[in-house]
Amino acid sequence: MSEKIYAWLLRLYPSRFREAFGEEALQLFRDRSRDETGFLLRLRLWTDLLSDLALSVPREYFRVQPGLASFSAHLRPEGVPSFFVFADESLGPGALLFGGLLSLAALVTFSVLLNHGVRYVPLSALIRQTQSLPKASSSPFDSSAPKTAKNPGEEANESKAPRQPGKAATPSQPSKGAVGGTRASVKLDATERRRIVAAAAANLERHYVDGESGRKMAAALRAHERNGDDDKSKDGAEFAALLTQQMREVSPDRHLTLDYFEAPLPPRSAAPTQEDFARYRETMKRQNCTFEKVEILQYNVGYLKLNSFPDVSVCQGTAEAAMASVNSADAIIFDLRDNRGGEPAMVSLMAAYLFDHPEYLYNPRENTTEQSWTHSPVPGNKLADKPVYVLTSGRTFSGAEQFCYDLKMLNRATLVGETTGGGAHSGVFHRIDDHFGMGIPETKAINPYSKADWAEVGVEPHVKVRADDALDTALGLAARKLPRK
Amino acid sequence: MPKQKLNPLPAAAFQILLALASEDLHGYGIMRQVAEQTGGRMRLGPGTLYSSIQTLVEAKLIEETAAREDAKLGGERRRYYRLTSAGRKLARSEAERLADLLRVARSKKILRGEYV
Repeated sequence: MSEKIYAWLLRLYPSRFREAFGEEALQLFRDRSRDETGFLLRLRLWTDLLSDLALSVPREYFRVQPGLASFSAHLRPEGVPSFFVFADESLGPGALLFGGLLSLAALVTFSVLLNHGVRYVPLSALIRQTQSLPKASSSPFDSSAPKTAKNPGEEANESKAPRQPGKAATPSQPSKGAVGGTRASVKLDATERRRIVAAAAANLERHYVDGESGRKMAAALRAHERNGDDDKSKDGAEFAALLTQQMREVSPDRHLTLDYFEAPLPPRSAAPTQEDFARYRETMKRQNCTFEKVEILQYNVGYLKLNSFPDVSVCQGTAEAAMASVNSADAIIFDLRDNRGGEPAMVSLMAAYLFDHPEYLYNPRENTTEQSWTHSPVPGNKLADKPVYVLTSGRTFSGAEQFCYDLKMLNRATLVGETTGGGAHSGVFHRIDDHFGMGIPETKAINPYSKADWAEVGVEPHVKVRADDALDTALGLAARKLPRK
Repeated sequence: MPKQKLNPLPAAAFQILLALASEDLHGYGIMRQVAEQTGGRMRLGPGTLYSSIQTLVEAKLIEETAAREDAKLGGERRRYYRLTSAGRKLARSEAERLADLLRVARSKKILRGEYV
């Protein structure tokens, strides 16, 4: 075997050398391998042979082609590359065929790699699709992709807000005010607690983004229940808080919640119907897609008061028109003080105007995909380098906080006002019964800035003022920053 | 061309000349003799060995003798090489050159020992 290998290696030498000494070299190899047995000696033999090969093969070629040896002498002083043709030893047809096939294979491999393996390396490193989830771009009205996420807490509290199917994409966030107000209305006994723990554990095992942690948390919940750790909590809110704490002791995930809702939860939400869609479209039309004000203020500052980030499929035209009408402004103020969130796609559409290159927008609610990048630059847009101010309040929530958070992290905007509400909504809502539900993160988004986002803590503004004073403060800041005209 | 290649005389070529000084040897014999006389420091691989042999043959410093079997290694017929008088002369002059070098080294107290 090894003799065959060496015979093959000998073919590296020029044919003249092979003819003269090939057989003898093989003979020498046979002699040595007969005499030098044992692992170390064999190893030495092969080291000798390979180093000898590396040294003597080039030397043999220099010998048959003296031109090669004097090659350096032919180099022009400027280092201009030159070619030499050595016609003495022509290539055999086999060598030509082999060379042709090898180049073809290399070409094919390279183009395949280019198309599949290494495209956008930094981007593909970020993209991690989870097959179990509907595509990030699917419309909330797509009946084939039922939205699991509902925000019952918000619906219960925000009855004055217009019903927006778009909000169906907003998962649960415990509304603490509602829960804190009237406690202890649902009495819990051991059977009830066991039922809820069992349902919660099953949900964790089935849905939590990291299967291993999900199983551990489920086991912990069950263990606490068996050990009687839950016996003290008699009312729903207390029990929900306790279970949330037990889950987070295993996996400190602030997006994971078990919530208690005073008002009975609506029955399992069906997919939005065509009627819902029509009603939503009608509402948006009436409300100008929640663009409450689009104005040019003094100092040529553009001002947009936007009260949600509505569905792109309905409101793209309105949003584009709004941005176009402030296109010539010298600075721009986004008033999000009454913005309760909405669609990440609209957040991305609006943010696109503020950059001259695609930017990654972090959104804890969705897997990182190519959709996570803004479609910047926007043709004809003049706002990419203008100062941006975002007005915030404690009511600024969810998707609006994503807008604030990402622009703050990208150092693209000055946030003026109050710390925002703290609704990251990254969990998908799972109803347990009429009063209990869970927000379970099922996706993994990459946060390039830090581990923590705005879940529960909100986004802190750069300039802290009362929400009512935010507009004047921002205008003042803009006036100082803009050149005097 | 070979003249140029042998001036200065490469270490491998000089060792081969020395190996052939006492008896005619085939390739493997030369390799073993060289390894022995250098205390195992120089093990000539086939490529180096035969390209040196080729150069030395071309320069008529060694010559091929009739192929014959090596009794100890059995079976195969092997080409043997013999030192020519030119080869012996070159080996001697190279040795003298080295001896001169040694004398210089000793006089500079770099190397201790008897003068040769």
